[in-house]
Amino acid sequence: MRRTPIVLAGTAAGLAAVLGFHTESLGTNVVATPSGSSSGASTGKSTTTTTGSSSSPGRVSSSASTTTTTTGTTGTRTALGADVQYRYGDLELQVTVTGSRITNVEPVVDTAYDPRSSQINSYAEPLLVSETIEAQSAAINGVSGATFTSQAYVQSLQAALDKLGIK
Amino acid sequence: MGTPALKAPRRRDPDPGVFAWAGPVLRHVQAVMGTMVSFEIRIGDAEAKAAHVALARACSRLERADAVFSTWKPNSPMSLLRRGEMTLGEAPAEMAEVLELCKVARELSGGCFDPWAMPGGIDPTGLVKGWAADRALGELRAAGVRAATVNAGGDLASFGGPGPGWPWRIGVRDPRAESALACVVESPGAVATSGCYERGPHVIDPATGCPGTRCASATVTGPELWLADALATGLVVAGEAGLALIEAVEAYEGCVISDAGSIAMTGSFPVAT
Repeated sequence: MRRTPIVLAGTAAGLAAVLGFHTESLGTNVVATPSGSSSGASTGKSTTTTTGSSSSPGRVSSSASTTTTTTGTTGTRTALGADVQYRYGDLELQVTVTGSRITNVEPVVDTAYDPRSSQINSYAEPLLVSETIEAQSAAINGVSGATFTSQAYVQSLQAALDKLGIK
Repeated sequence: MGTPALKAPRRRDPDPGVFAWAGPVLRHVQAVMGTMVSFEIRIGDAEAKAAHVALARACSRLERADAVFSTWKPNSPMSLLRRGEMTLGEAPAEMAEVLELCKVARELSGGCFDPWAMPGGIDPTGLVKGWAADRALGELRAAGVRAATVNAGGDLASFGGPGPGWPWRIGVRDPRAESALACVVESPGAVATSGCYERGPHVIDPATGCPGTRCASATVTGPELWLADALATGLVVAGEAGLALIEAVEAYEGCVISDAGSIAMTGSFPVAT
């Protein structure tokens, strides 16, 4: 599967954009630590995250969404992220960055709401993690494909991008 | 010809930390229209609060489009219209607008996209999602944000790019492998893909009224997503032969991936290098 690393490299570079780290931070470790909401009773339908140097924005009022706001200042070495709540479970990723390279990505919370979701996650996560680390050069910002259902979203490449981007 | 082209191009990108627009990035995922819609917004100099308000409005646009046009909701105006329980005059104003656009798309696609040839009555689904995403994006543009993408379950509307002179790069999924890309395109504003690998054979060939496609997936790019979406729906039915039709539509380009995995595209399809 020659192509896969390139795909998820895009994920990594997208994350780099979000974290806003610079090449001059060579040799240091940046650990994006998950934070934010941890409500097990949430609808888990939507997540909004802001990263960057903005002041804290207001909540989005929308029927099927939960909003989480995080701030990480561009150029600093630590970024805070929020967990991503999916319909079928929560997923938090801890991302370790050395210089401008992602050196480790690991899920720190993996709460699937039902057995099928567990199965999906155990399939999807190892792929995400290993391939993200493998290649770093090609960046993509989105994935176009045949329309997926909201259930299938969790397995989609776009979901992988969103997951890492939201971190 | 085999399967020569299924390889994502490699490119050393500028360091996003250096070249990306300054300012916050706002991301959001919304469950609507039976799929998930992902937003990425580069706020730039705009007020963060204004961007959040625009995002809420954008989501309302999507919810509204779902409520009006869903063929799955039995009491939506679209469903009532299909059953003859509502006239076009009684329907919300956007119904006439969308049906007008459907006529345009039908003509440009040479009849390969035809909402009036669907079993069960008129069905503009192949255009509505793109149209709704265009309107959602319009809210973000009006708020003065630097750049944004709206990915409506695999069909993307966008403007600007992640950095100055740096276009949004959109991967086109390999129809044969969930985690692979067939190619990467630089978005000219809209990138839409149609295929049967996600939801089974639901694409109807207007010529027969039955499910039928002549390729594994079809992608259309152009300035606006309502038309790209409709043309991609038509192109997946037409297959490679349909590329000539896309070529004739100004500013729109197409790409067809065969069941065997080979790629055919129009002359100016914006493949990233």
